[in-house]
This record gives sequence, C-alpha cells and structure tokens, in this order.
Amino acid sequence: MMDEKQPTTETSVQAKKTSVHKMKVTYEERHGMGRKQKELIGSILKNTLLAILAVIWLIPILWLVVTAFSANPGISYTRFFPEKWTLANFKRVFFAPDSVLQYGRWFWNTLVIAVFSCAISTAFILMVSYAFSCMRFPARQGMISFSLILGMFPGVLSMIAVYFIMKSIGLTNSHIGMVVVYSAGSGLGYLIVKGFMDTIPASMREAARIEGANELQIFFRIMMPLCKPIVVYQIISAFLAPWSDFVFARLMLNSGISKDWTVAIGLYNMLDKTLIHNNFAAFCAGGLIISVPISVLFIIMQKYYVESVTSGSTKG
Amino acid sequence: MKKRAIALAMAMIMTASLAGCGGQPAAAPETQGTETPTTATTEGSGETETEPVVEVAKADDSAVGNLIAATTGTVKLTVWASEEDQDLTKKLIDGFEAQYPDVSFDIQLGACSESVAKDNVLADPTAAADVFAFADDQINELVNAGALQEVAAAYTYDVSKENVAGSVAAATVNGKVYAYPMTADNGYFLYYNKSVFSDDDIKSLDKMIEAAGAADKQIGFELANAWYLFGFFSAQGTDLYARLSSDGMTNECNWNEGVGPDIANALLGYVNSGVFVKAADDASAVSNMKDGKYAAIVNGTWSAAAISEALGDDYGAAKLPTFTAGGKEYQMSSFAGYKLIGVNPHSEFVGWSMLLAEYLTNEESQVARFEARGLGPANIKAASSDAVKSDPAIAAIAAQAEYATPQRIGGNFWDPAKSLGEILGNGNPDGTDVQTLLDNAVEGINAPAAN
Amino acid sequence: MANWIKKKEESGRKKQKRGFGKGIKEYFADFVSSVKEGDWGTRASLLVMGSGFVARKQYVKGILITLVQILYLIIFAIYSVPYLSKFGTLGTVKMEQSFDPITMQQTTNDYDNSFLILIHSMISLFLLVVFVMYYIHNIKAAYKVEQDARAGRPVNSFRQDMKEMLGKNFHFSLLTLPTIGVIVMNILPILVLVAIAFTNYDQNHMPPAALFTWVGFENFKALISNGGMTITFGYAFWKVLSWTLVWAVLATFTNFIGGIVLAVLINSKGVKYPKMWRSLFVVAIAVPQFVTLILVRNFFRDDGIVNTLCANAGITDFFKSIGLLGANMNYIPFLTSKGWAKVMIVLINIWVGIPYQMLIATGVLMNAPLDQVESARIDGASKSQIFWKITIPYILVVQGPALITDFVRNINNFNVIYLLTQDVYTTTDQMLANSNAKEVDLLVTWLFRLTNEYYNYKMASVIGIIVFIICVAFTLVSYSRLMAGGREEDYQI
Repeated sequence: MMDEKQPTTETSVQAKKTSVHKMKVTYEERHGMGRKQKELIGSILKNTLLAILAVIWLIPILWLVVTAFSANPGISYTRFFPEKWTLANFKRVFFAPDSVLQYGRWFWNTLVIAVFSCAISTAFILMVSYAFSCMRFPARQGMISFSLILGMFPGVLSMIAVYFIMKSIGLTNSHIGMVVVYSAGSGLGYLIVKGFMDTIPASMREAARIEGANELQIFFRIMMPLCKPIVVYQIISAFLAPWSDFVFARLMLNSGISKDWTVAIGLYNMLDKTLIHNNFAAFCAGGLIISVPISVLFIIMQKYYVESVTSGSTKG
Repeated sequence: MKKRAIALAMAMIMTASLAGCGGQPAAAPETQGTETPTTATTEGSGETETEPVVEVAKADDSAVGNLIAATTGTVKLTVWASEEDQDLTKKLIDGFEAQYPDVSFDIQLGACSESVAKDNVLADPTAAADVFAFADDQINELVNAGALQEVAAAYTYDVSKENVAGSVAAATVNGKVYAYPMTADNGYFLYYNKSVFSDDDIKSLDKMIEAAGAADKQIGFELANAWYLFGFFSAQGTDLYARLSSDGMTNECNWNEGVGPDIANALLGYVNSGVFVKAADDASAVSNMKDGKYAAIVNGTWSAAAISEALGDDYGAAKLPTFTAGGKEYQMSSFAGYKLIGVNPHSEFVGWSMLLAEYLTNEESQVARFEARGLGPANIKAASSDAVKSDPAIAAIAAQAEYATPQRIGGNFWDPAKSLGEILGNGNPDGTDVQTLLDNAVEGINAPAAN
Repeated sequence: MANWIKKKEESGRKKQKRGFGKGIKEYFADFVSSVKEGDWGTRASLLVMGSGFVARKQYVKGILITLVQILYLIIFAIYSVPYLSKFGTLGTVKMEQSFDPITMQQTTNDYDNSFLILIHSMISLFLLVVFVMYYIHNIKAAYKVEQDARAGRPVNSFRQDMKEMLGKNFHFSLLTLPTIGVIVMNILPILVLVAIAFTNYDQNHMPPAALFTWVGFENFKALISNGGMTITFGYAFWKVLSWTLVWAVLATFTNFIGGIVLAVLINSKGVKYPKMWRSLFVVAIAVPQFVTLILVRNFFRDDGIVNTLCANAGITDFFKSIGLLGANMNYIPFLTSKGWAKVMIVLINIWVGIPYQMLIATGVLMNAPLDQVESARIDGASKSQIFWKITIPYILVVQGPALITDFVRNINNFNVIYLLTQDVYTTTDQMLANSNAKEVDLLVTWLFRLTNEYYNYKMASVIGIIVFIICVAFTLVSYSRLMAGGREEDYQI
C-alpha cells in the first residue's frame, strides 16, 4: 500500500508511454489479424492503470474516511484502519458542542458567508467580463493589462493592510466583513468567464442591437442564457472559496469567540499542538462532513467545467 | 514552603550566572536574583534594584468602591483562555460576576492557547482580549509591544506575596510586575515507564539508555526544539548560558565555548546509539510513549493525564537525568515555565479587567484549576496542599525546579537553536565540524534583533 | 493548422500600443487647450465644477458634479489633512498610558499611530489623485459640451445620460462597483505595503506602542548585501528565490503534462465508464485543500503511518542499503529532510493538482478541432501523427495563457507549501535559520512567516515587491510571445 505513493511520477510517465505506444500499435497493425485481441488487451491495460491511479488518489481520502470513524481520538501512527469503529466523532462534532467545538455554528456561518459572497462575486465577475469582452471603450485594453498585473501581487502580504482598512470601517469580526473580503476584489477573476464570452459570436449581439435592444437587455437576454455553463461553474467555485480559506478568516475573525468562526478556522484550530491528541478523529469527521456537499457540487460542476472551459472554440 | 525554598535556590543560581557576565551595578547579590536578568542595565530600573522583592502595592480599600460607582453602563470584556480551560474559566467568570451584583457584565470567553497568545495579541493589540492567559516566555515581547498593563496595585489579594517568588519574577520585566501568575508548571521533566527503568536508572541518561536498549525501547527527546535543547547546553556546572541581553531584545549565548563542543559530541553519541532518538514533536512523543515505543520522554504537565492513563501503574515522573560529556557528568537544566494572566492596556475597562485577572488567579481559582485539570498552582498556599504535593508530575517539576532557569530569551534564539538540534538529532549527516556547527548557531542566536 | 496559429500571432503583433509618454502629453495638452479656448462656463468649471454643464442647461448633472466636488473638499479638509500633515514623519507623539490605582481608570494620551497614518495618508493620496484626474476630465468634458452646443449638435438631457448608462456607456454601470471593490481590496493594500518597504516597521517599531518612520532604501540594501552569519537576508533570498522558481516550473509542468496524460487516458478508446473515472479523481480534490494537506502531512510524518508500513515492509532498510538514507536513520524523512521534502512536495502537488488539470484538459480535448482531425485522417495521417501534430499544438495554443497564469499562481502557491511544511520542517542551514527561512520555503511562505511570526513587515514588503516584479516581468514577456494581444477578436468574427 505504501509503495504506491512513492512512484507516482514513474507511473504517470509510464501511463503516457503506454497510451502513446498503444496508439501506434493499433494504427500500424490496423490490418493485422490480432487487432481485436490487441484492443482488448489495451483496454484491460488502460483500465488497470486507471484503477491503480485512482487507488493512489483515493488512499488519503480513504484514510480521512476511516479515521473519522476511529474510536481513537488522536492520530494513529501504526494502523491505517482504526482498531475500533465508532460514530462518536460525528456525534461529538454535531450534537455535543462544547464552548470551542461548535461545528454546527461554523457550518451555518460559512454557509451564510458563502451564499452572499458567491452571489456578489459571481455578479461582479459577469459584469466585468461582459464589459471587457462585449464592449469597446477607450480604457479597456489598459484596464485589462492593469488588472492582469494587479492579480499577481501576493495576497498574503496585502492581508495586514486589508485587515486595518476593514477595521477602520468596523468590519472586522463580522460576517459582513468576511463577505466583503471574499467578494469585493473578485472582479479581477474575470479571465475564464471573459474567455468564454469571447467565443460567443459578436453577430448575435449585433443582431439584437439592430432590433433596438440596449446593452442591459443583451446582457440578460442573450449573453446570460448562452453563458449558462460558465455561470454555473463560476457560482460553484465562488461558493467553495470560503470553505477552505483559513488564513484570511483567522486574521479577520480574531476575537477568539468560537461561535463566530467559519468551518475552516474551526477545523484548523482543532489541530493546535496541544489538542491534536483529542481532536484528530473529530477533525477528520468535520472534514468529511464538509466534503460531502462539496463533492456533490464538484461532480455537478465537472460537467459544466468540461463544457465551458473552451467550448466556444468550436463555435468560433 | 518547599516551593519558596526552591525559588530561593533558583535565585541563587541566577545570581551566580549573572555575576559571571560582568557590567552589573554593585548591588547585593540576593537582590539581583529576584529580578530578571533584563533589569541589570536598563534605564529606569535603577531605583527598583535595591528593593528586596518586587512588590505590588496594596491599593486603597476605597478603590473598588470608586470603580463600581464610576461604572454606569454594561462592562463588556473578552477573556482568552486555552481550549482545555474553557469550562473552568466559564465557571470562574460566573463566580466573578456574582461578586459584583450591582454591575452588569457582558463577559465573552474566547479560545486562544497560551502558547500562541502572543501571536494573536501582537497582530493587533487594540483588538485583542481584555484579559488573556499566556506562557511567561512571551512576556518580553508583549511588554515591548505595550500589550500588557502594569500590575500597579493589587486589590483583592497580594499578587507578589501569595505566589511563589519564581512566578512573580517570571511576571516581572524591568522591575515592574506585568501579569498575574496562574500556574507554576509550564516547564518540562522526565516521564518514564517504571517497568523499564529502576529508580536508580533514571538518575543518569547513560544508565537509561542502557536499560532502554536492553528492553528494546527508545527514549524520545525533542532535540529539534530549542526549548528542550536548552536543557543539555545550559546544564548545571557548565558555565554555558543562553539568555536575553540587557537591551531586552537580543541574546547572549556561549554554547560554542568551554564544554559546548563536548556536549554536542555527547549528544551525537547518544543519537548514534539508536536508543536516544529525536521525537518529531509533542504529539508524536506522547503518542509513542502511549504506544510503548518510547520508554521515556521529556515533556510537561500538559501531557500528564494522557501518559498516566496509558501507563497505569508503570507511570513515573522525575526530574531530568544527568548526562556525560567530555568524561564529566552534568545535571540537565531546563526552562522553568509559568502561565500568566495579563490585562490588555487597550481595554476599555482596565480596572474591571484587573479585578477579573485577580479573581482568575486567586487561591480558590488556582485550587479549582488544579482540581479540574491537574495544573500546578503558583499560589503558595494552593501549592502546599497534600493533593498537589502527591501529584507525581507536579512533584517532578518541583524537583526539577532546582535546576531550572526562568525563560528569558529573545526571539532570535529559537530558529538557530532549533536547526542546531535538528542537525544533531539527525546525527550530523554532513559531518560538519562540531565547533563550526555551534559557532554558526551561536552567531544566529546572538544576531542583532532587527536584522 | 499552422496557418491558423500564424494568423493569431500576426493579428497580435499588428496591435501597436500608443506611446505612453505621448498619451500623457496629449492628456495635459487637451486640458490646457480646453481652458484656453473654453468660454466663461467652461472656465468657471475650474472653480465650481458643475458650472460648465449648468451653462449648457444640464442642470441636474451640473448640480450633482458640484455636490461631488463639495463632498470631496469636505473629506479632504476633515479626513485627509490631519493624516497627510503627519505623512512626512509618520507621527511623532508616542503612546503614553497612565493608570490611577485609586479610581482604577486608565488615561491614554492623544498619540500617533504610524500605521494608521500611513494607511489613511495612502487613501487620502489616492482620493486626491482620483479627484485631480476627474477634475481635469471634467474641464475637458465641459469644453466638449460647449463645442457641441456651439456647433448646434444636440446636448444630452440628464434622462438621456442615464439611458446611455444602459446603452453605449453600459461599461460604466458594469465596472463601477467591481472597480471600487478592487481598489479597496487590492490597490490600496498594495500601495500601503509598497510604502512599508521604505519604513522601519518591524517588531521594534510596532504601533500602537511605538512609532516607525521612513528609512529610504535601507531594506532593499539589506536584501542584496550579505553580512556573514548575522545579516543573512541576502543569502536566504537567493536560496528561496531559486527554489521558488524551480518549484514553479516543476509544479506547473508536471501538473500540465500529467493532466493531459490522464485526460487522454480516460478519454481513450477502450476505457469503460470515463465519467466514473473522472469522478473518482474529482473526489480527491473535493475535500478542501487544507484538510487534505494537513492529512497528508500527518500521513507522511517521520513516525507516521507510511513510515511504519515502510519499515514493516522492509522498504526503509532497502533505501538504507542503496544509500538513499543515512545509516542511522530508521525512518524515511519524507517531509523533514531537504531532498526528500522537495520531492514529496512536488509529488503531493501532483496529487492535488492533476485532477483539476485533467478536467481542463478534458474540456480542451473534447473541443479539439474535429474538422482538421478529419481532413488529416483523410490525408492518411496516423493516429500518433494526429495527436502530436494537431492535438498537442492545439492544446498548447488554447492552454498557453493558462500555463502562464498557473506558473504565476505556483510562484504564489501558499497553501501547499505552508500546510505541508509548517511545524514539520526544520532547516539545517544556519544561515537560512538566521533569517527565519527554510529550504522548502517559497518567497510567499517566507514573507508570511516574517509577518505572522516575526512581525518583520519591512522585509516582508521588500520581498513581496520583488515577487511582484518577477511575476509581472515573466508574464509580460511570455504574454507578448504567447498570447499576442487581441485573441478575442479572432473568435468573435
């Protein structure tokens, strides 16, 4: 089990070789007699390879799952599967809030923050993308270049200044403040959506304009329906951001009052050095619980993601 | 009164080490000892030097009355206590509120581990809790950042007399008391498995390694942790030191001189035995101890419950052993640690915060803290109870106290010393000359603070 | 195919930028000529900004603009002046507090907080620049309306102006809020931090208890000068920088190639249930990154489960026998020794990143130019020829820009490095330790710890600026080669 992690690169390099090799063989021997057999062997090889890779990818996740059901509250250093199984960690996480471990509250806080910041940042991104993709105005190219450069400044550094700016308008230790932090600067993340809009033929907008529609109407009636996959993608990824950010959240929600925290801060704090003996299994349980809805969203998103990344290029 | 005697002994030791470094004003040795080393040449501390003990003045009896009279609205306070301390602190806060029935309180309890309190406070002192618990090693940085209110007066009990002298010294910077002692057990000592070691074995690390080797077990020590590593290099009778210099920021350390290289070589020898191993961190040391892989570890009272539960009758705790370097035997030293409660000077209600801090650290609260969590009290009366004395971990830390040094060290100590420990713990894989290793580490430790 | 790419490049190069200096010159020349040639209404706008519009009977607009002007002047007087007056020194009055033990009340003097002075001065300066630009623009606009009116062209009523905000000026309506957000969350903080690089803001000078002040280029000097063991920022900087670049290259390309390989594999003929396979990989990234990374970190601990299993299976001994491990190591230092940790970090990053790249590559592959593939096939090209000559170039063209942004993102990849190495990795290089750096640090994780644990804001800012410059330089160079300006027009035909 353990040696599978080691040769990841070799395996994937191997994978590449095999697939390339495979193609050659099938072509060159296209007219050969063993073609069907060869394809069958190829198919078995490919499926096996995928199975091995999938196992490598899922081992840590499996460890998360089984540890969440472990009766040992700390980390086990010797066993992969727990000695004794229990549901107590989930019970503790959900139904036995002590003054610090308030998972239910954290979940709710994060949900609220995620919903609002998702709405605002999706709106911002669509607005910016439409302006940059579908409209032509003098400052456009300058703004695009400028925003590209702006996005490269390391966010962790500007954090402290953001904190004091938020503090001076009284938005630290508030969930409104968190929504602002997550969504206000989101306009910079327009690249993917703009790329998608770029692929929608301008003639469609032109036609609408001739019919007397203004830009607002074009935005809602023409572009939005066409952009559905990328909008769904954008909504889901914006929704997911607050669930995994702990750096900003820890700085902004610094009162130490546990009922104000988000899931990410709460889980991160659970693994404080002195607490890890008591909390590791509960940490896994908490991590697992948020992963379930996120996985579902991800699998839904996957479809739109695949559809949207470059789907326009064939239309263009 | 045992504690007091220990503190006195400690003071003597410190005096001895101070005398070595010169440049001190000619004051009586006894008086220096109770002060922290930092006071020596700092301006403004000259007046307090001649006083025998740092004393917190007993305030006028009318003061609390004045405060109550001056308080009209709700008193909103935030308290930070460690996650393990939440339930107890909540109860104590309720007790505090009940004492002043005429005042309306809104006291919020937040979670913040004592070991990282500094990080959370210094990020923005004006937004930090009004009353917070912290480990005494952070006091210098907190005072320098203006994040601690001076304990200018005591109201409900005598902070400087009712707590052991060591803890008061730990709460003192430049001759002024800045915090309220809460526990006196934040140092480290030896946990061992009685089925592996005899009472005689644990006196010397060499014998322990022999015994553990025979039983096919290991001894875990967090070498790559400057806090623990200090115990070897600043061992008794070595004339080696690592401490804060008089500017209150930089360090003076001479681990590369005298027997320093001998100690480093001794450590390499121990590591090469394969029995004495570098533990990755606290969690892993304790968990390996529980699993039986380690037969002994060096750790603190916070792990006592976990270890005693796992070992049952084989659970043992003792002072740190001696070790042999350059053919001579030295007693391991340690950092003496205390947990303190501080008041944030940026609080809107400094007066109430001070009263609350006093309440959280008075005798009854310290007794309650021992009963609830097994933490060793700093309060002299609380510490002298039979229950406290019979606790093996607390007895061990009391025995080690004789060889312990208060933790006064600047921020530049940690990373270089940690790297030194990491290199030694890995058996010096690059084969660098030991003297060079120490020279490099010491240069880093002694580097100017604002580099 | 090749023509297709060439066309793109040409169209990009065709786009010529207007000289920057020339633009500025024009900007002010327009302003001067507006003032010179404008009539009384336009000129009065110099004093009362709305007057030019009022003169053209655009009353609502004129009044609104005048109100903005008044509002700004009030803000300037009440908010900006007090801060800007202290901007030169960043404050002189140190905080002093005194506690009265009898009344139990604390009194604090009216002290200066250098950091707040800096922040609010920056905001004030920003507002000032914006206002001045708007002021100049306003005069020009007033002159334009004057010309329109003179030439008898219709002048917009307020209602028409509003209508245009949804029509030809819709971009104003769209961009206003997002721009304000970006200014508050990105531009202002960056300005503040750039300023901090020129101050002595560190643990010895931390507001509110202490003041900090300007020191010019001292911090930049400290970064490039090397002063033995004690002043090691220069040494640490080059070490960390080189690993950052190596890491960014490795992380970007391993993920990119791995993602394509996996996508090709999943989509290739003979693989049953491609959706299921994709979903399996996606599950691995659906668990939030900080959870998986902390988990993996514990998975590969020195005394962790992988090590236990390796020791039991004899792998540890095997590594020892081939010299990968020192003789007295009884565990594999996955994340604790320099070489192992760097390899493991890259491998774990592959684990984290490939599913994403696989999704993207799948999308790209599904939209591969089918007509070209078809015609190539008719021409008798082999499958591998099609793959290498058409599919791969196509992916490179489509994904090129993304590769650049990925590279920049990896330079700033805080999460992976921080979560995998924090509290785990200890450097054995004393010179690095003396500047609080580690061999596995990226510039961003180093600067994060400098601020978060050592409060060395001044050096962190210097490092931040340098990271920024590297990223910008890299992007500008590679975009001009790869992306070539107006890609969007090529599609929107």
